[in-house]
Amino acid sequence: MNSKHPLWQNLFRPKDDRISEVTEMWMSTPLFEKIPARECRDLVKTMHPRHYKKGEKIFTSGEIGASVILIRSGGVEIKAAEKLLAELSPADFFGEVALILDEPRTADAIATEESELIFFLRSDLDEWVKRSPRSGAQFMLNIAIVLAARLRHTNILLSLQNS
Amino acid sequence: MIQLFFNHPLGRTVTIFSLICITILLLATLLSPLLVPIILSFALYALLEPLSEILERQGLSRNASSLSVLLLLVTIAALVFSVLLPHLAKQLSTLQSQLPGVWQSITSMGNDVSQHLFNSLNLDIKTSSISQHFFTQANDWGTTALIQGSNVLISLTVLLILVPIITFFLVRDYRSFRNYMLDKLPNSNFEMGWLIYHRVAHQLQEYIRGIMIQSGIMCVMTSIGFFIIGLDSPFLLGATAGVLNLIPYVGPLLATVLPILLAVSEVPIELWLIGAAISVILIAQLIDNMIVIPSVIANAVNLHPLIVIIGIIVFGNLFGFIGMVVATPTLSTANIIYRGLYQGIKTRCDLKAEPAAEC
Repeated sequence: MNSKHPLWQNLFRPKDDRISEVTEMWMSTPLFEKIPARECRDLVKTMHPRHYKKGEKIFTSGEIGASVILIRSGGVEIKAAEKLLAELSPADFFGEVALILDEPRTADAIATEESELIFFLRSDLDEWVKRSPRSGAQFMLNIAIVLAARLRHTNILLSLQNS
Repeated sequence: MIQLFFNHPLGRTVTIFSLICITILLLATLLSPLLVPIILSFALYALLEPLSEILERQGLSRNASSLSVLLLLVTIAALVFSVLLPHLAKQLSTLQSQLPGVWQSITSMGNDVSQHLFNSLNLDIKTSSISQHFFTQANDWGTTALIQGSNVLISLTVLLILVPIITFFLVRDYRSFRNYMLDKLPNSNFEMGWLIYHRVAHQLQEYIRGIMIQSGIMCVMTSIGFFIIGLDSPFLLGATAGVLNLIPYVGPLLATVLPILLAVSEVPIELWLIGAAISVILIAQLIDNMIVIPSVIANAVNLHPLIVIIGIIVFGNLFGFIGMVVATPTLSTANIIYRGLYQGIKTRCDLKAEPAAEC
C-alpha cells in the first residue's frame, strides 16, 4: 500500500516543512545554542502551534504559566501595569520563566496582529530532560544565561533611571 | 441566587467538573462491553510507551517502533499462556474438586466445637443446622465463582486478540490524537488544559506502573511462600493474591480467605498449616507495606483512606471487580481535575477587578 496515499496518511501528523522552519527559528535563539539540530527537531514535533487574533490576550499577569512561546508570525507586545516592556516580532520568544517556576506570569502578553505562536510546554521539557539529560542540562544552562542577561539589563535600566 | 452560584469560582468549578463526570460516565456506559480490554490496553500502553520512545530515538519510525512493541507484547503473552496457563488451569480444576471437601472440613470442625461446648459447658448449640444453609449457599457461590473463573480463561482468548490491537494503536496514535484533541481547547484555556492533563497523566502512569510492579512482587512472594509450606495450588493462590492486591485495603483481606480455606480443608486439620498460610500473607503484606509501596508507589495517590474504601465499595457495586480495581486511580484523577479547574477558575476570577465573591 502506498503510504503517501491520503487515505493512509496520519491525519494528526503535522507537516514537515513547518517543523523545519520552526526548528530553524528555535535554533537561532540563545535557548537552543549548542543543542543538536536533530534533538531540537524532535522536540519541535511535540510543540503546539496556536493562532491569535489582533488584540487577543496570550496570557495575563497572575495566571499560572506553563510554557515558553516562540513567535512564528505576527507580533506580540509585553506589558506590565499598562507599561509597555517589549515589542516582539517573528523568531522572538517570551515567557521562559514559566519553564523554571510553577508560578503566576508577571506580565501581560497581547498579540498586536494576527499571529502564529509556538508553545513549548514545561511538561514536554521535563520529559526531554529525562530522555536526554546532556542536552537538557545544556538547555537549562542556556535558560540561566538568558535570565541572567535579562536581570543585568534590568539592573542597568534601574541604575540609569536612578542616576 | 442561581446566577450567584454560577458566578462564584466554586459554583463554576462544580458545574464544569460535573459536566466532565457525566460525559465520562456516559462514555463508560456506552463502551461498557469494551471497558476491560480498553482499561488493560491503557495499562499496557503506560508500561510500553517508554520502550516505544527508546526505539524511536534509535531511529525507528513510529510505525516500526509500535510494531516492535506489539510483537514483544504478543511474544510475552504467548509465553505466559503456553507455560503458565495450562498449569494454572490444572490448579483451578484441582481447587474446584477440593471445594466440597473444604466445606465438609469446616462443618466437621463446627460439630467438634459444638460437641466440646456441650460436654464441658452443657451448651447445646446445633452448629450443623445453623451452618447447613450457609455452607450450602457458600458452596454454590464458591463453585459458581470457580466455574466463572474457568469462563474467564475462555474469554481471555478474546482479550488476547483485542488487547494487542488496541495497545498497538494507542502506542502509535495516542499522542497525536491527544495533541489533536487538546489543541482544540480555546486559547484562553490552552495552558491550563495541558497543565491538568500532564498532572493527571503523570500520576496515573506512576500509579499503573507502581501497582503492576507491586502486584507482580506480591504474586511471586506469596507463590513461593505457599509452595514452601506445601499448600495445594500455590501458584494459583499466589496469582490470586497478586490480582486481589490491585484493590487497595480490601484486596489484601480478600487474598487471605482462599489460602486459609484450603489449609482448613486438610484432613486431619493441621493448625500449623493454617498459621503458616496466614503468616505467608502477613509477611508478604509486611514487605509490601514497608519496602514495595514506599519505593514503588510512594505518593502516586494522595487520597484519604476512607474516601478510597467508600470509592471501592461504590465502584465495585457499579462495575464489579474491574470497578474495584479502577476506583482508586479514577478518584485520584477526579481529585486532580477538580483541583486544577478550581485553581484556574479562581485565579481568573481573582484577576478580574470585581468583588471576590463574583467573577
